This record gives sequence, structure tokens and C-alpha cells, in this order.
Amino acid sequence: MTAAIHVDRARKTFDLGKGKSVEALAGVSLEVRPGEFVAIIGPSGCGKSTILRLIGSLEEPTAGTVTIDGRPPRELAGAHRLGVAFQDHALLPWLSVWQNVTLPLQVAGVKPDDAKIAALIRLVGLEGFEKARPRQLSGGMRQRAAIARALVLGPEVLLLDEPFAALDAVTRRYMNIELQRIWTESRITTLLVTHGVDEALFLADRIVVMSGRPGRIIENLDIDFPRPRMPALMRTPAFHALYDHLADLLEPAAAENEPVAGGGES
Amino acid sequence: MSRGGANRSGPARAALGIAGLLLFLCAWQAIGYYRLAGLSWPPLTDVIALLADPERWPLLGRALSATLAAMTAGYLLGIVLGLGAAVGAHMFPIAHPGTDRLAAVVNSIPSIALGPVFIVFLSRESTAAAIAAAHAAFIIYVAASSGLAAASRGHRDLLVVLGASRLSRLRHLDLPASLPSLSTGLKLAVPAALIGTIIGEWFGAPRGLGVLIVNAMQNFQIALLWSVVVLIASTSLALYSALSLLERACYARFA
Repeated sequence: MTAAIHVDRARKTFDLGKGKSVEALAGVSLEVRPGEFVAIIGPSGCGKSTILRLIGSLEEPTAGTVTIDGRPPRELAGAHRLGVAFQDHALLPWLSVWQNVTLPLQVAGVKPDDAKIAALIRLVGLEGFEKARPRQLSGGMRQRAAIARALVLGPEVLLLDEPFAALDAVTRRYMNIELQRIWTESRITTLLVTHGVDEALFLADRIVVMSGRPGRIIENLDIDFPRPRMPALMRTPAFHALYDHLADLLEPAAAENEPVAGGGES
Repeated sequence: MSRGGANRSGPARAALGIAGLLLFLCAWQAIGYYRLAGLSWPPLTDVIALLADPERWPLLGRALSATLAAMTAGYLLGIVLGLGAAVGAHMFPIAHPGTDRLAAVVNSIPSIALGPVFIVFLSRESTAAAIAAAHAAFIIYVAASSGLAAASRGHRDLLVVLGASRLSRLRHLDLPASLPSLSTGLKLAVPAALIGTIIGEWFGAPRGLGVLIVNAMQNFQIALLWSVVVLIASTSLALYSALSLLERACYARFA
């Protein structure tokens, strides 16, 4: 079976000018199977967002290859088969919720199916807010609109770059439960970048732990809690055991990474 | 530390503004009345009397409408040229540095020097509009260029991942995101176009406020000269204020 996403010994070096450069990724290999939900966790600056940007065709690897179903990500993006949600919701401020959600269709030149859009907006719980502008919405509602926009093309791959990181703990937990429900209905190949261990555990089929910097994968952990997952899962001993294991993995890496100068996620 | 006027309420600020304006007008009247600045400074009441005199209205009206027509033509042409150049440079980045330099060079030529060239090249009638267009085009080019670069990195990334073509990125992101900056340019271009029109009219247009200024000056019709200046200033202010409203709406919606 071909892997939906195939990252093969990808390296990424960013040129800082004046002959200096920083290695964000040091030969990372990662496979995501079709329909699999993989979460990447790691300390700030470990290059986890860089992996996502490589797959989203926003960056090219310095060495190694990144393919989606054997093709370069740019082709999939060009065919309008990628869905994405960033930490910054990136909703266009001059468009209503409805218009923002249909934007990917406009870009793809597809005529929006009103009933489908309405269903999608209902799915993310924004019914009644179709005409509202992003600035009239709360942070959680904006992220839900961004999730709906990411799903509207019926993408083959969904890329989530810390989509709930800017939200408060309660909203974030609620959004995780919602995303779990939505994802279970669609089962799109999904890559989630996060530094929330509980978020990764609750949502993912597999968790990839990275250390930085340069970023490399230090652990690949299957999470086989049955689906659909309920919030009660987060109170089980098994959940807590895995949580502690992952938190331990992140601990030394985070401490070691701290003194390194330079920007955050990239 | 007091923050002075910045903290005052709306009515208080308006009252201060009106008081300042009245002071200015009284000073004008006093200087003119007592001939403090010589014969060429008329009392305000003389200027108002002339502007209020219905017999003068046909003269002023013809001049004003000629100037407004030339200014509007030049302004619209300036929008087309400035916006066209900015969009072109945005779509073809290789041309961007060259376009920037060309715009800067054209703008650094004093329009008074361009006048004779336009007269020879175009005609007396269209020189006013041509200089207005040159003035407006530069401002709009600069405003549109910076506006087209205003979209955030997150929005750009989004459209890349969505597989947007250059044209669709322009349409869905860069053009709407440029509207606040562009609206400021549209506002600033109005007085610039009006100045350009009047300078252009000095080169021998058949009629217009610029022509009236030159004639009044040469015939020592001081009150008429000042009336025309007042008329130009109020026209400019009125158009500027109207476009400020457009600007405010653009910022509210698109920023």
C-alpha cells in the first residue's frame, strides 16, 4: 500500500545570511498511511512546523524528498486537494464566515454547493453565524470556521499546525472533542503539529516525538484507544501513563533546547 | 503629565477647532482692513462679498467646472496608470524594481517643467489633465504598491496551500488587502491632481480656475484673486473630506 504521505530523509537548512545557517531538520523520515491521524509533538523550535510546511508545499527540502501519494506536494496543492488550518486562523477579515468557508472552492473554481456548505458549517457548530465577520467571533469560533474551510474541498490530506494553541484551556479541550468527532466522520489523512501532549493523545492514531535542534524523530508511538473517543478517556490510567511517558521524553529535549538563540517555530 | 488636547471629548475639541478658525478669520479681516500687509491683502469681507455676488457666479462657475472636468479626467487617468503599473509590477516581480525607479524619476521632474512638453506633445486643452494625471498616478502607484504587499504571511501561505494561481491570489487576497492603503492614496491624490490641473491651466488653457488666477493677478484684481484661491481651497477640502469617508469605510471593512 502506498503511503499517503512519505517523508524520506528530509533535511531543511535555513540560510541566515552572512554565511550562517541553521539546520531545522536533520534527515527526518516519516510515513503517514491513508486515513491515519498522526500528531507530531516536540519542544519549540524542533522543526515540527517545518515538516508540515514541507508537506504543504510552503517549503522545499534542502535534501531528501517529500511526496504525497508519490507526487510532490505542489501538485496536490495545485489540484486543490490539501486542507490546512494554522495557529493563526488566517480567515480573511473582509469576508463573512460563509464566504471564508467557500474561499477554497472559489480558488479551485468549483461552484459551491449551498447545502453542503450549510452542513459543514453546522458540523463545526457555527450555524447562525454564516453572515458574521471573523472579528465578531470568539477565538474558538474563528478556529472552527478555519477547520470548516480546511474541510470544504474534501481534501486528501489535512494539515493542522497548532490550530488551537492560541485558545484558552477550556475552549481548547472543547475544540479537541469537536475535532475528534468531525475527524471520525471524515477519516482524512491528517497531520497535526502541537505541543499539547493531551491533545495529541486524544486525537491521534500515532504520535511522533521530535527533539530539537536540529529536529529529529526520537519516538514513534501507536495510540490505539478505540474510536470514537469520549472525553472520559482523558481520565483513564492508560491515558495518564502515556501522558507521563511522552512528557518525560519532551522534558530533557526542552531543557537542552532552551539556551539556543533564534526564532521560534519554523 | 497631562496629555493635553488628545484626551478631550468630541464637543470640546470641536469647540476648540471652531475657536481657532474664528481667530484665523478675524486676523485675516483685521490685517486686510488696516492694510497691515499692504494692498495685496484684502479684508475677508471683500472676498466674501465677491463670492456672494450673483453677477460673478457665471464666471466662477465656468472656471470651476472646467477645472473640475480636467481634474476628474486627470485623476481617473492617474488611477488607471498608477494602479495598472502597481498591479503589473506586483504580478511580474522582475519588473518591480524598474517600475519603482521609473515612477520615482518621473515624479522628481517638476511639473512646471513638464508643462511645455505636454503643450507641444498634446494640446493646450489637455495639458491640465495630463499634469493632474502625472501627479495622481505617482501617489496611487506608491499607495497601491504598498497595499498589494500588505497581505499577511499567514494569508499568503493559506492561498499557496489551496493551490491558488497568481491571478486568483490577486483577486481573492492581494487586491482586497490593498484597499485600505489604496483608499489613502485615492484621498491624497485629490489635492495633488487639483494642483496639477491649476499648474497645467497656467500654460494657456482656454478657461479654468488657474486661468482666472493668472488673469486676476495680471489685472491687479486682488479680491478676485483671493476669491479664486478660497474657491480652490474649499473644493480641495470638500473632495478630500469626501474621500476620507471612503478611506474610513475601507479601513473598517478590509483592514
